[in-house]
Amino acid sequence: MTQLFYLSRQTVSRHRSLYAGSFVALAVGVFLLGLAATATAATIAYRGPAASAITVTTLGGDGAAPRQIRVPFSDADVSGLQVVLNMVGAISGFITIFVIASTFAFAVASRRQEIGLLRLIGATPRQIRRMVLGEALVVALAASVTGALAAQLATPLLLDKASYTELAPVKLEPASPWVPLAIAVAAGLLVAMLGARSAARRAGRVGPIDALREAALEPPRIGPVRIIFGLLFMGGAITMLSLIRPSSGDGAVPLAMFTPMVMVIALTLLAPLVVPVVGRLWAVPLVAWTHVSGRLARSNVVAAPRRSASLAAPILAISAVAGSMVLSLSFAADSAGATIRDAVRAPVVATGGAPVTGPGVKAVDAGVPLQMVRIDRDDAELEDVEGIDPVVATQTRDLTPLAGDVRQLTGNTVAIGKEMSGFEGYKVGDEIPLVFVDRTPVKLRVVAIVKDAFGVNPSLLIPLDLARKHAPKAEPERQFVLPADGVDPASLVQQLPHAQLAAAWEADQAAGVRKGNQLGLILLLGPAGLYSAIAIANTLLMGSLQRRHEFITSRLLGATPAQIRRMVLWESSLVGAVALSLGTAITVTVGILIRHAMNAGLADVPFTVPWGVLLGIGGLCLILAIGSALAPTTYILRRSQPSAVME
Amino acid sequence: MTATAPSYPTVAPIEPPALLLDGITKTYRSKAGAVDALRGVTYHFGRGSFTAVMGPSGSGKSTLLQCAAGLDQPTTGTVVLNGVTLSGLSEVELTKLRRAEMGFVFQAYNLLPSLTVYDNVALPLRLTGRRPSRNDVHRVLDQVGLDGKAKRRPAELSGGQQQRVAIARALITQPSVFFADEPTGALDSGTSRQILGLLREATDRAGQTVVMVTHDPVAAAYAERVLFLSDGLLAGHLDRATPTQIAAAMSDLEPPTGAVGWGKR
Repeated sequence: MTQLFYLSRQTVSRHRSLYAGSFVALAVGVFLLGLAATATAATIAYRGPAASAITVTTLGGDGAAPRQIRVPFSDADVSGLQVVLNMVGAISGFITIFVIASTFAFAVASRRQEIGLLRLIGATPRQIRRMVLGEALVVALAASVTGALAAQLATPLLLDKASYTELAPVKLEPASPWVPLAIAVAAGLLVAMLGARSAARRAGRVGPIDALREAALEPPRIGPVRIIFGLLFMGGAITMLSLIRPSSGDGAVPLAMFTPMVMVIALTLLAPLVVPVVGRLWAVPLVAWTHVSGRLARSNVVAAPRRSASLAAPILAISAVAGSMVLSLSFAADSAGATIRDAVRAPVVATGGAPVTGPGVKAVDAGVPLQMVRIDRDDAELEDVEGIDPVVATQTRDLTPLAGDVRQLTGNTVAIGKEMSGFEGYKVGDEIPLVFVDRTPVKLRVVAIVKDAFGVNPSLLIPLDLARKHAPKAEPERQFVLPADGVDPASLVQQLPHAQLAAAWEADQAAGVRKGNQLGLILLLGPAGLYSAIAIANTLLMGSLQRRHEFITSRLLGATPAQIRRMVLWESSLVGAVALSLGTAITVTVGILIRHAMNAGLADVPFTVPWGVLLGIGGLCLILAIGSALAPTTYILRRSQPSAVME
Repeated sequence: MTATAPSYPTVAPIEPPALLLDGITKTYRSKAGAVDALRGVTYHFGRGSFTAVMGPSGSGKSTLLQCAAGLDQPTTGTVVLNGVTLSGLSEVELTKLRRAEMGFVFQAYNLLPSLTVYDNVALPLRLTGRRPSRNDVHRVLDQVGLDGKAKRRPAELSGGQQQRVAIARALITQPSVFFADEPTGALDSGTSRQILGLLREATDRAGQTVVMVTHDPVAAAYAERVLFLSDGLLAGHLDRATPTQIAAAMSDLEPPTGAVGWGKR
């Protein structure tokens, strides 16, 4: 083993340029993973002011022993940032596997003869596999350590940027880096080994006789194992898609984000079958439009399905993942806007806590927001609660009970949202143990289960008196105002300070949701997009550099440099178009499903497609694909005369 | 050139042959139809013999070498190397046999560019999991006259030097059979003489068996026997012939002027 590892090390240092792509890709991947990990560590280490925490004992039962839980009792909630960071980590890891797999596949394909030679002088297939994995390990070790160091250096910068934002409204300090960076390095190594596995297996299949052959066209067949796994992943993706339905509630959004990844894996596995078919379709107009270059481009894409597939993979991955995410979040915001609109019945909304009085005002729904710790069998959580006057609130907002009666909300009672009731299994008549901010424990009886209306009603509603008693300082954030009979809401808005027409307030709320999503999207897709760009450029660059001999031969046959460039242009456009059309198919499917899932029970939901962003993603992918194929081609053509083929 | 004889006397009749080909045929199938590269070749390569295989393009000589070395499976017939039948072996067993018993020298693509001369020569031993002894490596490098170049990389050597490194690499495992495919194809005549001399030495001094495919009558004249292959069949042989005799025999085998061959295979 050590003897072979020595060989791996030598090969890597010799074929530095061949592995430079893998190195950069993995280093960036580990950098992102490491950054996500150190920042997560910082959020975990953040405890907030000691006074604002409470320790409660869980109920226990059903196999869970009662235990003590410390719940931070403040607005200093960093869980939003944690969720985003976890997703950044997941996406980075996912894309890294892709890039490593394709760069290693290239490295192996371009060294077929050399591997054949090793087989000839007595290397067993197993030794070849180990050698390739050894190479992956050498590259991965160097890249992971580099990435981890860079992450450590960048952590204070990121925490500085992330502090005091909507996602983490507190000051975050770097925590001890050792554990998170060790996790990132280990993940980098694991991902590299996973990515290099298929390349290693393919290398093991190279026979000694390949040492004697000129590099030939790759075998067009793909293995049955690959097809089976492709179909399995496809089945999994379809199952996940079918789960994006109205009953999934909040789970629909994460599903819409992760399903595309599974779909991408499935399509990548099946790509050698799928890409030529879609490529042929796209080539029809191309061949009709151009003369020889389009035809050549089609042949190259269709005849080397495996190469086309690995070129298409990173474009497919980022376009599907980013597209679905952008579209899903936009539709989620549409649906949130419609929910808010439907839930508010009062025509006027006043922001702030100042008492709303005056002629023309019939009633004011001045609900008081507060927080309480809800205790269940094995956990305790901080919940948003609102104290309401049920008589007024049932007129100003949609509090239609699905069970029970909201008007009974007096004394030690609570009304809960449908999702919480479904999640926790609470029924009308149950008692929920809660703790107020002033540390008073209380048991509240469920009197009603109401429709969910996120953005208007929190999931727990308690009587206004009860809220005032335990949170005397809490002030309303917004008040729903009912005008007196015959009073025009528009003129009432003029008289009242801080008042808006409900429609305007609703629009502001929807815009706020969108803005919050945007921040998350930038955090999520920024690094992933950057990374994919590197990946796309990397695979195409390597792909083109390998074709030096082919280009020179074509020159010898009489092709002009312009013809070859056009061929490469059409070829990379074709691969890009194939990948983007598959990515679009995934995006559209997910978009339709999530829209259907989230808009159940809502009418007239606005339809916002962020065309600019979506087209921008597609355009960038295409430009990158074409540019990074054309640049090396131009370089090769300029550097080599046709006579070079005789060397 | 003698007429095709029904059987060939082995060079060293007391010992069993180093390499035995028995009724080897090889048919390549493709969409265009089947091509018979070998149509029944039976021959015994005696231990310590140096045999050259010649024939026009497409006569099957490279296929013969590949089948004999277990790089390719014959369609029918058996290959027996030192008493071991190749067709029954698994890929790993075949690799281990190749490692222990066979040495290869080809026209090109012989050395790993990333390794030094020393490491290239030591590689076959490393692949068996052994740490090569410095003495062994330097001994074979000395044998091919390259002991001073151990630290160089292949790209820094001339073609002839690279080929000598390849021979040193084949020598280090002390194989019983050398397979050489156009070993002097890319070299000038002076360098060719050195290479062929080294192969000759392997048979004379160490009793190793050499099977060499070539199209060069001068190279073939280093062998004690030249086998002629035509259209997938043995067409005759010459023993201890001069380059002129060999060239004359070759021109008899070439297709008549005007006929166009279809290249290799």
